[in-house]
Amino acid sequence: MSRTVMIVDDSLFMRKILRGILVEKGYIVVAEAASGIEAMKNLHASHPDIIMLDIILPDSNGLDLLESIITVCPDSKIVVCSSIGQAQVIQKSLDLGAKAFIQKPFTPEKVSEVLENLEY
Amino acid sequence: MDMSLYRDLFVSESRSHLSAFSELIVHLEESPNDSAAIDELFRHAHSMKGMAATMGYDQIVGIAHTMEDLLGRIRSGEFRLSPALTDLLLAGSDALARLVSGIESGSDVLEDTTALIERLAAFDPSDKAHANLDPNLPLQVADNTPETPVVTHQFRRTDSFKSIRIKTETLDHLVNITGELITNRYRLAESIRQADATECREPLHQLTALLRDLRDEVFKARMLPFSFISERFPRLVRDLARKQGKEVHFQLEGKEIELDRGILEEITEPIVHILRNAVDHGLETADERVMAGKPFGSTITLTVCRDKDHVEIIINDDGRGMDPESLKLKAVEKGLISSGQARQMTQEEAYQLICKPGFSTAAAVTDISGRGVGMDAVREAVHELAGVLTIKSQSGMGSCFVMRLPITISIIHALIVQCGPFEIAFPLTVVKRTLELKRSEIREESGVSTIIMGDQQLRLRSLRQALHLTESSKEDNALLPVVVCDVGGILLAFSADHISGQQEIFVRPLRSPLSHLRGFSGATVTGDGRVLFVADASALA
Repeated sequence: MSRTVMIVDDSLFMRKILRGILVEKGYIVVAEAASGIEAMKNLHASHPDIIMLDIILPDSNGLDLLESIITVCPDSKIVVCSSIGQAQVIQKSLDLGAKAFIQKPFTPEKVSEVLENLEY
Repeated sequence: MDMSLYRDLFVSESRSHLSAFSELIVHLEESPNDSAAIDELFRHAHSMKGMAATMGYDQIVGIAHTMEDLLGRIRSGEFRLSPALTDLLLAGSDALARLVSGIESGSDVLEDTTALIERLAAFDPSDKAHANLDPNLPLQVADNTPETPVVTHQFRRTDSFKSIRIKTETLDHLVNITGELITNRYRLAESIRQADATECREPLHQLTALLRDLRDEVFKARMLPFSFISERFPRLVRDLARKQGKEVHFQLEGKEIELDRGILEEITEPIVHILRNAVDHGLETADERVMAGKPFGSTITLTVCRDKDHVEIIINDDGRGMDPESLKLKAVEKGLISSGQARQMTQEEAYQLICKPGFSTAAAVTDISGRGVGMDAVREAVHELAGVLTIKSQSGMGSCFVMRLPITISIIHALIVQCGPFEIAFPLTVVKRTLELKRSEIREESGVSTIIMGDQQLRLRSLRQALHLTESSKEDNALLPVVVCDVGGILLAFSADHISGQQEIFVRPLRSPLSHLRGFSGATVTGDGRVLFVADASALA
C-alpha cells in the first residue's frame, strides 16, 4: 500500500518540487502546509505516515514544531529537510525523534532512498 | 525529472523573496536592532539559496550563500548593518533580481557574478574603504545611536495551499462579462417596466441581488493589498535620497488596504513620480533645513486610507513647500495663464498649475526629475481612473498630494445628465452637489456666468456650450439644473438640460479617434443601447 506524506515547507516552489518527486515515486501527498500552524491543523485531519519537515519556517521554531508533531502523531515518521550548514539543528532534531534528514538541494533519487530506508 | 516545469514558480517565488529582502534591508537601516527582521532577511537569502540549488542555478546559489553568510554574522552580533554593508547587500539583491529576470526570459548566458561574490565574501566592517561611500552623508546611524527598543516585526504571508494562481486576463474577462451582465439587467428591467410584466418582477429582483453578489466576488478576486506595489518604495526613496545627499525617513501606512489590481497597476508610476519630485525638489538639503530651524532629517509619509467606496493615497513631505504666488508668476511668465486669471485664482487652483503641461517648479532639471512622467501625466492618470488629485502646501512646511480613487475600476456610480441629444455621466467621486437655479440667480459679466453657492462665487459653464450645441430656448422661469463638481478642491459648476438620476455604469475606455475627445474619459452603453459619455470635469471646464 502506498504511504501517505505531508509536506511542510513555507516555499510553494519547494512543496511543488517535493510533491512532484513523491508522486513520481508512488507516494500519496495527503497534505501540504506552509507554516507551523497550518501543519498542526492538517496533522489532525490527515495523520500521514511520513512528514517532510522544513526546519526553518516563518512562524515557528522548527524544533518546537517537531516536538509538537511527535506528541500529536507519534507514529508518523518525520524527515527533516534542511540546507547545508545546519549540522547542529539536524543533530538536535534527530535527538528529539526525527527519523531521517535530507539536505537541500535534493535529487529524486536521494528522496526516494531516504524514504525507502525508513523503518516502520 | 523535468525541472523546467518549476521555472515559473521559481521566478515568481524568487521575486517575492527579493522584494521583501529589499524592503527589510531599508527597514533595518533605520531600525538596526530589529532582530526579527534580521532573522527574516537571513531566511529569505536561505530560501533563495535552497531553491536555486534545487534548480541548478549556481550563480544565484553563490550570491545568496555569501549574503546569507554576512547576515549570519550580523545575527551573531559580529558586526552591525552599516550604510556600506546595506549598499553591498542591495547590490547583491539587485544582481539576484537580474539573474532571475535572465532565467525568466530564457537567456542561456547569465552575467558574471564572480566580482560581486568576491566583494561580498571579502567584506570587512573595519575596512575604511567600506566605511562610508559618500563623504557628504552623515556617519553610520547604526553605530552612533543608542539602543532602540526592538520592533516587533510582521512576518510576510506565505502562499496558502488553498489559493490558486489565475491569469490576470481571466480576471479582466470576468469583469467585462459582469459589466455586460449589469448593462443587460438594466435593459431587461426597462423592458419589464414597459411591458408591465408584473410576474417578471420577482425573478428580476433575484437576478439583481445575484448580480450584485457576482460583481462583489469578481472584484474581491481582483483586489490586492497596496503592499503589492509599495514594497519597492522604501528602497526607491532611500536610493534617491542617498544620491541627493539628503537624509530621508520614509513612512508607509495602510499598506494592507486593498485596491483593484488595475488601479494599482495604473497608479504605481504616478506615485513613483510624486515620490521622486518630493525627494528631488520638495525636500531641502540638510544644511538648508538646519538654517530654517527644521529637523536635520526630512520625512516623507505615504498613507493609504479607505473611505467607504474610495481609497485615498496621501503623500506628505515636510520639505520647502510651494508658494502660490510664485507658482502664478511662473505660469504667467510661461504664458500658461493671463495675469487676470492669476489674480482670480484660489490657492488650490495655483497649486494645480504644476500639473499644467510645460510647467516645472525645478530650477534645474536633474537626472531624477527628467525621467518618467510629469505632473500633468500624474493628474491625467488619476482622472482616467475617475479619481481626483488634490494638492495642498504650506510654504516652508511641506506639501501634500492626495489621490482619491475609486476602489474598483470599470464599474462606477455616476450621475447621469441630459444635454441636447447627449447623455453624460459624472462619476459620483467628483460630484459635490446638484442645484436647480432660476435664470435670475445667474450673473452674467463680460460673457462669464457665475452663480453663488453658500458663500462662494462659482463660474458656471454651460455643458451645451462645451459640446458646441446651441443654447436651449427654455422659458425664462424654467429651473436650470446645475451639477457642482469638486476636482481637487476646485469647485466647477456645469449647467445641463436635465438631471436623469444615478446609475451604476460599466465604463469602457475610449479608443482612437474618440480618445481625442476633450472632456471625456470613457463611455458606456446603457440598458437600451444608448451610448453615454463619462465626463472628465476638469477637462470640460
